[in-house]
Amino acid sequence: MNYLRRILTIVGKDIAAEIRTKEMMNSMIVFVLLTLVIFNFAFGERLEGAAEASAGILWVAFLFAAVLGLNRVFVHEKDEGCLDGLMLCPVDRSVIYFGKALASLIFISVVELIALPIFAIFFIRTSFLVNLWLLILVLILSNVGIAAVGTLLSAISINTKARDLMLPILFFPVIVPILIAAVKSTGLIISSPSLPGDVFVWLRMLAIYDIIFMLVGFLTFEYVLEE
Amino acid sequence: MPECAPSLISVCGLSKTFGRRRVLEDIDFEVKKGEFLAIFGPNGAGKTTLIKILATLILSSSGTVCLDGIELKKDPLTARERIGLISHESLLYGDLTAHENLRFYGRMFGVSNLEERISHLLEKVELEHRKFDLVRTFSRGMQQRLSIARALLHEPSILLLDEPHSGLDPHATEILDGILEDLRKDDHTFIMATHNLEKGLNHATSVLILSQGRIVFGGRKDALDISDFRKTYDSYVGGHV
Repeated sequence: MNYLRRILTIVGKDIAAEIRTKEMMNSMIVFVLLTLVIFNFAFGERLEGAAEASAGILWVAFLFAAVLGLNRVFVHEKDEGCLDGLMLCPVDRSVIYFGKALASLIFISVVELIALPIFAIFFIRTSFLVNLWLLILVLILSNVGIAAVGTLLSAISINTKARDLMLPILFFPVIVPILIAAVKSTGLIISSPSLPGDVFVWLRMLAIYDIIFMLVGFLTFEYVLEE
Repeated sequence: MPECAPSLISVCGLSKTFGRRRVLEDIDFEVKKGEFLAIFGPNGAGKTTLIKILATLILSSSGTVCLDGIELKKDPLTARERIGLISHESLLYGDLTAHENLRFYGRMFGVSNLEERISHLLEKVELEHRKFDLVRTFSRGMQQRLSIARALLHEPSILLLDEPHSGLDPHATEILDGILEDLRKDDHTFIMATHNLEKGLNHATSVLILSQGRIVFGGRKDALDISDFRKTYDSYVGGHV
């Protein structure tokens, strides 16, 4: 219980700081909306009936926006040695990992919920509302993986000189399985007015990936912080 | 030899290497309850690394450190409950208020009666009137005072100080010294790393000189001839006092 309470304390602190500064959310929202607008101008009508291409656009926008946010996850912790302050707390290092990952998950999800209606207006011609719950499930599972991988790699890159460049270099190759599963499942959902059975294969893949990377983060975060 | 010596803090055969660079080598010392150990040395001597190892922020490469009978590597979580760190960095979040910062750290340490404790400490460091202001609007001296409140929040018995006077104006230095003196009366145990000989000798009961990662001098202050000690220090640090 204490473990969870302390995770939520970190999440609460990050949310309070973000509400005050809005620097992470603002840059992510502006970026994702601009990307969708630009793709709309670039492809427009040509994407009609090409659900997978539309889904690709959506996830490329989401992933790049997520990187913008993930790059900032530990920046405030480095200011004035706050990461040392966190590490001095009598809690397992995994509490810090899950706290930061959960905060990132919330920020990424909020940005996506704002961007999703814009994406629907620009790129979706069929009604996918019957499968909206499925789309939300895809978003949740993908975001868990993005936050789990991104938080771990953000902690690794924060101590490097070119940290803004380092995170994307480390992040994108590792996140490819999530990108593929998210694009495939989103494509199936937005192209079909009925329940697409194949989507569950991709959802299973996302769930497995999430579990693996949360485990990796849980087991390795201590060494990432201390070395 | 027992794993942990009876002193409150005992460091035995401690070494630390970063890659091929050996930063600390074969460090041994003990500190009894209520003592104030000042560790002197020039920049790059390994003082901050030593403080960080004692604070459980980094792992030593070899050797043992025991705090109050707890071996750091075996039980770092319990050791952290007894350690307070005041460094030249405040370890405070600029985008949170003074109260929010203390509440955050208090919850992370599981402090009971948190609001009472926060009020008491803010009064002690004379920041009660600024408790709802963002920390980034504070002067360096105010941030350092709040940093002291943060370090004392969970009532640690051991205080680690890493260049705590760095960047402070004379008034803020005076306040910090006053608080440290008050804490000494409460039987806290201190280890302070500094290259400021005056400040260190002012507070210390024991001294160490660290040079190139090795202890080159150590002793009790009351047994020292201060002018000889200054000469010794100068000879190791090349007069950079």
